[in-house]
Amino acid sequence: MSDVSADDAPDATACGHTEYVDGAVPEGFPKTGVGATGVEADIWDALYEIEDPEMPVSIVDLGLIYDVRVVEREGEDGEAKTLGIVEMTLTYTGCPARDYLENDVQCAILAAGVDEASVRLRFTPEWTVDMVTEAGREALRKFGLGV
Amino acid sequence: MPATLNPEDLDAEQRAALEELLFRLADDEYVHGERLIEWQIYAPTLESDLALANVAQDEFGHARLWYDLLEELGHTEAELIWERPADEFRHATLVELPFAEGDWADVILRCYLYDAAERLRLDALVDTSYAPLADRVGKVLSEERYHLENAQSWLDRLAEGDSRDRVQDALDRLFPHALSLFAEPDHEEAIIDNGFRTMSTADLRIEWLETVIPYLESLGLDVPEPDEVERPSARGRDGTHTDHWDELAAEFRRTYEELEAPEPARIGRERV
Repeated sequence: MSDVSADDAPDATACGHTEYVDGAVPEGFPKTGVGATGVEADIWDALYEIEDPEMPVSIVDLGLIYDVRVVEREGEDGEAKTLGIVEMTLTYTGCPARDYLENDVQCAILAAGVDEASVRLRFTPEWTVDMVTEAGREALRKFGLGV
Repeated sequence: MPATLNPEDLDAEQRAALEELLFRLADDEYVHGERLIEWQIYAPTLESDLALANVAQDEFGHARLWYDLLEELGHTEAELIWERPADEFRHATLVELPFAEGDWADVILRCYLYDAAERLRLDALVDTSYAPLADRVGKVLSEERYHLENAQSWLDRLAEGDSRDRVQDALDRLFPHALSLFAEPDHEEAIIDNGFRTMSTADLRIEWLETVIPYLESLGLDVPEPDEVERPSARGRDGTHTDHWDELAAEFRRTYEELEAPEPARIGRERV
């Protein structure tokens, strides 16, 4: 959580009776990994395999992933280590499956072959249903939810 | 002021000020949620049962977000919630009081007084200088909106007819404790000077009074004169609490203690 920029000002759109507000999708969202290469692409692929705990839709297609990047840093033994970082959000703050999701994402990062993994939660921009991808909408329609 | 400060930028004084602000936020939400869940199965309609359950879930969600920020500063969940001495909690006494026996007016009025204050406090954090806090405020604010609407829609109904007396009783009982929400923090000057919060506690109190008094009076209620009410000896914010708090704390920790400090279900979550 150490790199939130001032550009990420909260979007103040909301309606009264539901968290799943309609709102303009911020520039660049949802993030789907298009154009990612190498290990970062492998992490995206692994993230696509993780489904929301309540609905048969990938957390990427749900629009929960805000950033994937791999950086190099020096480990305790002085050797260079690769660190996979995923920034993600939750549909609402009281999500009871947060720890499970974070663990799944942690495992997905490590499965892509990096030395260390970091999952960081971000709540700006606020998630809205408009961040669900076309593939996500299709999966939700099959499940019986219209979005 | 843009949100540019991160944990590694803080000196000791800034850190102490920020922690005081975060403990108040987190403890208020956590303890308010703890009391609300006592209404499960007792609310007067199925919809209001669900509504209150949902509000309580949100409050726990928000408490978790604020405790996260304290964890980023080196605290642990065990120390923050399960093992912290009860007299180190910094919530206002309003949220720790038990409900008057089966009194729906009590919970609704309490929610209104609290949520109106919460809304103002969060508004004053939207432009905080502390980046990790700025990231979370908007999301929490958008979830809080419904809480206030729910409380007001019930209050409008309860204030009609015979139930108004019960609302008045609840107001007389709770108002002095609600004022404890606005006790000035020890680090108020540093909180403002560093831009952690953009409105002073004194101004928040004024704005809250200007919000709740006209509304409650429009419902035909008599609001106690803020500067004349007898203040409880327990102030909450300074760690002094009513006896009810010790009981509640013992109760919500019982399972944790029986299971001998279970580890939360997470693996190697790393904060870099």
